[in-house]
Amino acid sequence: MATSGLSAQPAAEERLLRERLQASGYLADEDLATTVWLASALQRPLLIEGDAGVGKTALATALAQSQGATLVRLQCFEGLDLAQAAYEWNYGRQLMAIRLNEAETDGAARVREADLFSREYLLERPLLRAISQTGPCVLLIDEIDRADEAFEAFLLEVLSDYQITVPEIGTLCATHIPQVILTSNGTRELSDALRRRCLYHYLDYPTLAREIAIVKSALPQADSHLVEEAVQFVQRLRREDLAKIPGIAETLDWVSALFKLGHNNLPEDMANVLGTLGCLLKTREDRFLMGPDRLRQLVEGRRSVGVAEKGAAQTQVAV
Amino acid sequence: MKDTPASMPSERLATFAGLLREHGLTVGVAEQQAMLQAALHFGPLQEKPLQAAWRAIACHSHREWQLWPDVYERFWHPEKLRGGVKVSGQTRPSRNLRQSVQALHDQMDAAQQPNTQAGGQQAAPQTAGDLPAEGIDEHNAGIPRAQGGASRTEALHQRDGQMWLPQELNALQQLARQITAKLQPRPNRRWRLAPRGQRLDLRQTLRRSVAWGGELMQPAWKVKRVEPPRLFILADVSRSMESHAALFLRVARAFALEADARVFVFHTRLAEVTSYMQRDTPAIQEKVNAVTAGFGGGTRIAASLQDFARQHARAQLNRGSRVWVFSDGFDTDEPELLSAAMQEVRARGARITWFHPTRQVPAAAAVQQARRCIERFVPFASLADLAAARHVLH
Repeated sequence: MATSGLSAQPAAEERLLRERLQASGYLADEDLATTVWLASALQRPLLIEGDAGVGKTALATALAQSQGATLVRLQCFEGLDLAQAAYEWNYGRQLMAIRLNEAETDGAARVREADLFSREYLLERPLLRAISQTGPCVLLIDEIDRADEAFEAFLLEVLSDYQITVPEIGTLCATHIPQVILTSNGTRELSDALRRRCLYHYLDYPTLAREIAIVKSALPQADSHLVEEAVQFVQRLRREDLAKIPGIAETLDWVSALFKLGHNNLPEDMANVLGTLGCLLKTREDRFLMGPDRLRQLVEGRRSVGVAEKGAAQTQVAV
Repeated sequence: MKDTPASMPSERLATFAGLLREHGLTVGVAEQQAMLQAALHFGPLQEKPLQAAWRAIACHSHREWQLWPDVYERFWHPEKLRGGVKVSGQTRPSRNLRQSVQALHDQMDAAQQPNTQAGGQQAAPQTAGDLPAEGIDEHNAGIPRAQGGASRTEALHQRDGQMWLPQELNALQQLARQITAKLQPRPNRRWRLAPRGQRLDLRQTLRRSVAWGGELMQPAWKVKRVEPPRLFILADVSRSMESHAALFLRVARAFALEADARVFVFHTRLAEVTSYMQRDTPAIQEKVNAVTAGFGGGTRIAASLQDFARQHARAQLNRGSRVWVFSDGFDTDEPELLSAAMQEVRARGARITWFHPTRQVPAAAAVQQARRCIERFVPFASLADLAAARHVLH
């Protein structure tokens, strides 16, 4: 079994990785740090799934920042093809070279076909750029589930051998193997072949303590009372039946909005901050669902309407 | 399973991989090698990181990710499990309510099967699900259908939509997909770019030629654009249809997801529930129930249909749109009104299909009068009926 190139003290390296990620503003839990470290040690791509706003993309940016690596990002979308993802011939330049050559009458500097199809005339798109990097590199393939299945099949070559075949030139191999992170929102089932080539990690919403830590590290100037209460509120809100569950990014937005409005703690009466809830609730139904009464209950920490209150409501209706 | 402590680590790992495979995880030789490699890196004593690493290697989807802690604990820490569950590696003990219900049904069926075969049909056929519909029979003799509970699958199909098992939901979703694919799309006057089109898209070709300095190197092709038909489902949820409402809503949900259908429910008034159909949580089901809570005042099909055509679907009801009505046809409005309302929908060019839970076409006067506006009547009391009717829905 090949163990070359791996450190004898993975635990120490992993801790270092966690600290570096923290320094770049990303608080990873132990399991995630282990997985990221393992992905780099085994030189395997890492597939991260999870709901929107749990920090999948942020992990890649933080990883690149912490290692001083170049971040190459490929945003996937429906209809993404090779020309946009891997490489494209610079037709304009090729044509210009031919025309310039034709203009020269003496014929001394004849341009040959091989000259026209050299690296010089190849436009690098994200995948090729990541492979031809000479230094450390993090390749982020964002929302792979949005791309077509054909593109996914093409990715297999890139992800298993870190090489791209250009018919006119040959196979271009990576000199420095990039660390690949794929993210998916689960809008489409990915193929088994792709899944098996990757390490897998499912990012869930953070625990209360971790989310408080995240918000505190992102907004150190905010009052810690405010942060704790607001995060508790968001955590309770996530248990409600919402169409769009607020992620970490939404929490950060909301806390910074409250902070800018000059609140030092979460106001008991939510009517005052009803306007800021647009940071958390992103659909009309959710706004409708979360009326002032329901919000008050959430602030107080009750999950559903109590028996006494229900009875009172019914008598009101009866009257 | 052999798990003596003296066995080789790789052997123990292979046994664990076998257990993982039994739980549906894809753990081949490559994964096992990677797991062993991870174990070498971290050392056997570093359990927490090792567990995380193995999880990343062995799991490939969210379902497997959620399954992992359970399987891992069972294999490596059987002592932690309460209640003395033996590690057999065969199946998970079914804590899931649905699974236990199915197990119960299987037992019941197994017990009943000899009886049924000997005694023939026992239950008197009451709904379309109990007897095969003659009209549709010739097309698909091979498809399993409800035959009075003679076989095991049929019994599951006939549970009137109160409790749905995952495989039934899958079957329904697949059926909805098949039917949706059969709905004839409507050609449009517009064109769309397609690599294998029949006609040259001159404008796009010229635009592309700019890159080659005006030489037409890469032609662009186009094809006619087709529009999938709009599907509207109107489900009757009045008191008389109470027992079928759950099935209707399940089917409507499947079509809302597959065909982007708009779903309405009606009893004495009409309400749209499309937005509730996109998600499936208990809270959503409660909301649908709240909307559909009938007032016991009967059904006003005609008024609801009129409301549907004049208000809710006014802009979308055109030639090629399909309107499916799930109802028994008992209307408390005047019989003529239904005919008038139907004509109104028909005048927009929409095609109406009437799904009735009874075996015969509803004999109600209102339905009989409106008959010429209705393109087709389909008996629909169970999933099997829908499967049988899939060839006539287009």
